[in-house]
Amino acid sequence: MATKAGDWRSYQRVLLPPVRDLHKLSVYGDYAALRKVLAEYSPQEVAGIVKKSGLRGRGGAGFPTGLKWSFMPPIKAGVPRFLCCNGDESEPGTFKDRQLMEFNPHQMLEGILIANYAITAKTCYLYVRGEFADWITLIDAELAKAYEANLVGDNIMGTGFSTDIVVHKGAGAYICGEETSLMESLEGKRAYPRIKPPFPAQSGIWGYPTTINNADTLACVPPIIKRGAEWFAGIGAPGHPGPILYGISGHVNCPGVYEYPSGMLITDLLEEVAGGMRGGKALKAVVPGGASVPVLRADMIDGVTMDAGSLKKAGSMLGTAGMLFLDEDTDMVAFLRRVTRFYHHESCGQCTPCRDGTGWMENLVTRIDEGEGNLRDLDLLLDLCNQMEGRTVCALADAAAWPVRNTILRFRKDFEAKCRSSMWTAKTVA
Amino acid sequence: MASVTIDGRTYEFEGRPRLLQFCLDHGIEIPHFCYHPSMSVPANCRQCLIDVGALMRNRATGALERDEDGAPIIRYMPKLQTSCSHTLSDGQVIHTRRTSQKVAQAQRDNLEFLLINHPLDCPICDQAGMCPLQIQAYKYGPEGSRFEFKKTHKPKKVKLGPRVVLDAERCINCTRCTRFTDEISKSHQLTIIERGVKNYPMTPPGMTFDEPYSMNVIDLCPVGALTSADFRFQARIWEMSSAPSITTTNAKGSNCNYWVRDNLVLRVTPRENPAVNEFWLPDEDRMAYRRFNEDRPEGPQVRTRGAFHAASWEDACAYAARLLRGAGKRALFLASAHAPVEDNYLLIRLAAAVGGRVAGFIEHMEPGHGDGWLRTDDRAPNSEGCRRLGLAPVGAEMLREEIASGAVGALYVLDDDPVGAGLVRSEDLSDIPVILHHYHTTNETLLSADVALPSATVAETIGTYVNEDGRAQRVVPAKAVRGAHRTLMMQMGLSRADRHGTPFDRWHNESNLINCKPGWEVLPMVARAAGCDFMDRGPRKVMREVADTFEAFAGATYKVMGLGGHSLPPR
Ligand SMILES: Cc1cc2nc3c(=O)[nH]c(=O)nc-3n(C[C@H](O)[C@H](O)[C@H](O)COP(=O)(O)O)c2cc1C
Ligand code: SF4
Ligand code: SF4
Ligand code: FES
Repeated sequence: MATKAGDWRSYQRVLLPPVRDLHKLSVYGDYAALRKVLAEYSPQEVAGIVKKSGLRGRGGAGFPTGLKWSFMPPIKAGVPRFLCCNGDESEPGTFKDRQLMEFNPHQMLEGILIANYAITAKTCYLYVRGEFADWITLIDAELAKAYEANLVGDNIMGTGFSTDIVVHKGAGAYICGEETSLMESLEGKRAYPRIKPPFPAQSGIWGYPTTINNADTLACVPPIIKRGAEWFAGIGAPGHPGPILYGISGHVNCPGVYEYPSGMLITDLLEEVAGGMRGGKALKAVVPGGASVPVLRADMIDGVTMDAGSLKKAGSMLGTAGMLFLDEDTDMVAFLRRVTRFYHHESCGQCTPCRDGTGWMENLVTRIDEGEGNLRDLDLLLDLCNQMEGRTVCALADAAAWPVRNTILRFRKDFEAKCRSSMWTAKTVA
Repeated sequence: MASVTIDGRTYEFEGRPRLLQFCLDHGIEIPHFCYHPSMSVPANCRQCLIDVGALMRNRATGALERDEDGAPIIRYMPKLQTSCSHTLSDGQVIHTRRTSQKVAQAQRDNLEFLLINHPLDCPICDQAGMCPLQIQAYKYGPEGSRFEFKKTHKPKKVKLGPRVVLDAERCINCTRCTRFTDEISKSHQLTIIERGVKNYPMTPPGMTFDEPYSMNVIDLCPVGALTSADFRFQARIWEMSSAPSITTTNAKGSNCNYWVRDNLVLRVTPRENPAVNEFWLPDEDRMAYRRFNEDRPEGPQVRTRGAFHAASWEDACAYAARLLRGAGKRALFLASAHAPVEDNYLLIRLAAAVGGRVAGFIEHMEPGHGDGWLRTDDRAPNSEGCRRLGLAPVGAEMLREEIASGAVGALYVLDDDPVGAGLVRSEDLSDIPVILHHYHTTNETLLSADVALPSATVAETIGTYVNEDGRAQRVVPAKAVRGAHRTLMMQMGLSRADRHGTPFDRWHNESNLINCKPGWEVLPMVARAAGCDFMDRGPRKVMREVADTFEAFAGATYKVMGLGGHSLPPR
């Protein structure tokens, strides 16, 4: 049982430090990391530092951030370049970006400015989930203060570097969190994801080179600048270093967002961080990274740590580190019914397999949940997963298929118990 | 040159073609729905899947990597790719459904998804019979369905605009219609609303889908979701025959098909011609088909002692000839921008034979109507053809003065309506004999005519029209006229896809046959009745004579024009 998080109990938080009123510019301070970057580093050097830090995207796919920045094509006169900050957080079981926006928005804004500098973008669009109305108001107000203090805008702190942040409010669709769909939405179009290639770095917002990062990812950048890439790379699991905002929910005593190094043991997070299972019940299942990642049975989490490598070996993914703990009383069929309902509701409807497959899945799981299902429905569900996975424009269809496949495969007994015993319904036999 | 292997065969290519288009161009069938060659590629139907691999090469030496048997190793992409969005690159190895079980299965799976929420009301659907979904489901789809739930319900019979009706349940969300309004017509009058399986196209709030090109989405729609308000439920596809022709509501000469059942034209659809209209047709061209069926005259008529009487073609022509002879040099002829080149040419010859004079043709300009695309200010199809025959537009003043001065002893009008066009008033014509070739009983000059000779319309005749851009294009008959005519019948047989009409199509029975004749048949009859030496040679030979005689028609024989037309040298 080796945690990769080292002495995590004495870990000092950097994303959500325990400082009262940190959301105020006066408390946060005047963007020391940005000041340092503008004074000491060239854009390439900043990207180099981030690359060296080993920072990987916190939006779900875990792509190395510095590498992503380096995909931006060379600067061309007359061709604008953009940064996009993805704050559309809508994956079920994920609520970490929200905490950042509420308690430490300036660190995210500072991260945005540093990233803008690193990729030489004049504008960043900050796309915030519309339901975060209160935090949008807060960010708007704090951003105005930052503009006043000349931390954003023209000729920042007299360094000659100019850049803007534009806050855009989403309108409530999960799919707008998908990067290319987010760009369509920003452009005022219907949020249909685009086919890739071309990738955003070649053709993003309005067809111009664009880098897109999650809000949490960008909030990691100022501490990296302040304390150095080595410091960051030394936190937690080597292949996936840095602080992680673990969003813990489900049948635990103390749900919430907890900042700890990556590579925490799932068992530590459950027992010591989240205070164990509610009512002393036994654990049945964990969804370690948001609703779309494969669910793990309680007996599959021994020694598993929260980093991409270990979770992959265990048969799941880190995703957004939004962890859902389910106790022994949980009906996995009902659980899956809710998950399939979500993806059915949120499919943008562009691609055939996702548009029609997600609804069919919900139909089938609902039928099983209501005791009307047949055993062969389970095989049909697995077939549908095969028919959807990897055959669509964006990854929503995959995200819809993984939980179905893995919940059925890993909890088949629960499903069989709810199905009619034979494939023939009583009516046909009579 | 770069090359790829598709299903084991090697093809060479230049540039960076899209795989689906490349396959279609090379006769390799790949099922697809959302792709259209003239619009952006959203790859959303997910039907056109293929397996793509590349030959493995040694990084250092560039030599092909081989397995123990010496066969080159191919590395396939982890996922199947959509061929519509896949750009070819050198050395790729492609498997379509013909050689890949995986691809065939994936396409079957996709069709299963497409059909689960589709109403499958083919028996009452206008698209049935030429529906890509129906055809591909039969060819490549699964047997039966495993879907045991209620299908999604969506609005039906929604009038998107005056001419287009939506059945949202049939829609497969390919976005061809919305892309057309965004990218081709740029009216932005359609968008997809709702989300997921509830998606369907709709007009934005406060808009109606009334742009002048709206009906193109009906052809684009790969299912029967978008139907024509006018044609809806009028006929099954297989009951009609179609004939390749051109439209004649303006001077663009857009290529089209006329769809006919029981000798009635029921609809007009575009026929692809990259040099003229690409894939498109303005709504006005489609809605103008009723004039082929309605208000048609019933045979020739002659006015004696103030009253109109039906007459035989021979008697009518003989009477016309007598009137022309009587007028001699004072016989004035009006050519027609509605009539084909052949008829106008024969009119010129007739005028010369009887010693009369061709004044020119009547222009039908409607300034402001043109849009720089497929609609033009000129509302007649053959003004350019007339000009190339050396004819000029007739001025109203000049014509009226000439008539008033008594210089006109007889007026011979080919396929037009000088009174209706405002060129002359009926009173002006009261004292002179008028011989009129006409299409419709609504022709206002009829009241002043002494001999009325019904003309075959563009849907019934053979002939050549020259569009605004100097492109000479042939028409062939789509429907029959009364009275057997060998040339017409042969051409009609050839022009109709099925040669004889379908069993549901009673084109040969007497109902709906109009007693009219093409100009190239009637004009020689009149000439012969007037005692002129005038051979009846049929339109093909007439056109050859035109091509030989007029520099402006050089090379424009029927053979050269074919079905796509022939660009004439600049005038
Ligand atoms: C269906 C779908 C929904 C997504 N939703 C979000 C989201 O809400 N927030 C987010 O940051 N990334 C989301 N992503 C991931 C983004 O596409 C993208 O990978 C991410 O913003 C990149 O940032 P990162 O490199 O910093 O992780 C989603 C992806 C998919 C396929
Ligand atoms: S996979 Fe689903 S959500 Fe993604 S583009 Fe296709 S239909 Fe839309
Ligand atoms: S109405 Fe027809 S063309 Fe439009 S999206 Fe639906 S299927 Fe495609
Ligand atoms: S034709 Fe390729 S995805 Fe529709």
